[in-house]
Amino acid sequence: MKLTRRHFFKFMGAAGASVAALPSSASAWESKAPPDPYGCLVDLTRCVGCRKCEEACSEVNGLPTPERPNCQCTIFEKKRRPDEKAFTVVNRYFTGKLDAFDNPLPTFVKVQCMHCQDPACVSACIVGALTKDETGTVRYDVSKCIGCRYCMVACPFEIPAYEYHDPITPRVMKCTFCYDRISKDGGIPGCATICPTEALTFGKRETLLKVANKKLKDNPGKYIQHVYGEREVGGTSWLYISAIPFDRLNLPVLPDTPSPKLSETIQHSLFSYLWSPLALFGVLGAVMSKSNKTAEKQQNKGGA
Amino acid sequence: MIKRIIFLVTCLILTPVLCVAEVWKAPDQERAKERAKEVVPFVTEYKNDDQITRRISLMDTGISIQDVTDTYFLLDSPIIKKREDHYEPVRFSHKRHANLTNDCSKCHHYRPKDDTALETTRCSACHQDSFNPDHPERIGLKAAYHQQCMACHQEQAKGPVDCKGCHLQNVPDHKELVNLPDNADPFQVTAECLRCHDTQAEDMLTTAHWLWKGPSPYTTGHRKDIMHGKGTTALNNY
Repeated sequence: MKLTRRHFFKFMGAAGASVAALPSSASAWESKAPPDPYGCLVDLTRCVGCRKCEEACSEVNGLPTPERPNCQCTIFEKKRRPDEKAFTVVNRYFTGKLDAFDNPLPTFVKVQCMHCQDPACVSACIVGALTKDETGTVRYDVSKCIGCRYCMVACPFEIPAYEYHDPITPRVMKCTFCYDRISKDGGIPGCATICPTEALTFGKRETLLKVANKKLKDNPGKYIQHVYGEREVGGTSWLYISAIPFDRLNLPVLPDTPSPKLSETIQHSLFSYLWSPLALFGVLGAVMSKSNKTAEKQQNKGGA
Repeated sequence: MIKRIIFLVTCLILTPVLCVAEVWKAPDQERAKERAKEVVPFVTEYKNDDQITRRISLMDTGISIQDVTDTYFLLDSPIIKKREDHYEPVRFSHKRHANLTNDCSKCHHYRPKDDTALETTRCSACHQDSFNPDHPERIGLKAAYHQQCMACHQEQAKGPVDCKGCHLQNVPDHKELVNLPDNADPFQVTAECLRCHDTQAEDMLTTAHWLWKGPSPYTTGHRKDIMHGKGTTALNNY
């Protein structure tokens, strides 16, 4: 094909536009994390597995009573996950630690929505039913939700659950961080209020990070030198400290980059100024006009 | 006439019985209740001594078991009840614990910085409301009690570590709830229990108490095989 002057300018224009669009939008990804969110610090060395947090949670959020609420024994035999009937569950892990009498020491781990600073679910939600609030809460608005369940796929902690049993008005169910309580002055989530040993400390995330790091520094050997949630997927409102490595407690090993960063960068750089559809249709147009011309030429040849 | 005599005699016999039948109360119960209601001013600054220094300084003051004036406390502070009130207060025998540990520093682990303050100040002077933003590292009173009691009970393998070992649960008075005719038969009684406790009934049906088989990993020397009973040979349903 011989490049005409006209084609050359067309091509260069499209290429120039894409080059201009790419770097600007790639560097444009910015964290939308609230500046001073609330958080909750879970000290796993303090949790005694009483499961009162489960009970308080279901009471505050109007959920059914937890499975065998007073059982602190056989209920731990199977590992449970938060679902549409329970926003939080406590699991027990025996990691080989022994107490002074050679009995295996359990480690109890509370699981719930981590309320990420840059939540993947919020980024994945195509209708804005999930939002990250100033308080740090990842809020869900059922009136906007269309039930696509992208949030469930996106969540790195596999938290959101869906009311599959309800065919008419199903909801995505996950921890609300007791928004109605914490958005008021002096409000504390249900689980943190009831916790008998203050294994859950509620406060500003910044303060909690300081408290957690001070604990790690002041008790060498007691804790793993890692605050889970400080940097995981760009940071989470819920933070964990523990004496046992987190991957053995079923807390997933995650990168420090926020989950939405990659997906949003790709999307934004592809669709900024609509350059990629423009380029695509430009190429398609060029191919079409070229094939038209060759067809014309062949017709002319055939005619002559 | 005979009836009247019988009536008078019964009255005479019953009078002392009725007097004795009055519920016994610990002599220091009222004082403990009053004391539990008190809220003392919050101690902001404390001496950050390590436990050995603290123990020595307590010994230096010459405090001994004879100085324990309050033998019994009711752990029923309004600081805790402000937020949650699910359980009955714990009855804490202070003197007995002091005697058993013979080491005041086990619980009185720090002291206020103010030298005029009492050497063995009460827990609620330093530990008050949870999640105080001015003192984020300071745990609340409820957590202080639980951590102190449970950790020590675990360490010493002595004393309860479960909820009901220390707390009596706030159980409503069943005298008013139960509605049964006089001389009710066993089926009526069971039906009356099930009227409210249906989940407990369902739970019970999945346990070894009902099935007579199933895992019992918490029984020492348990066996998996079952020789007799409802799970195997018998057909009864008791």
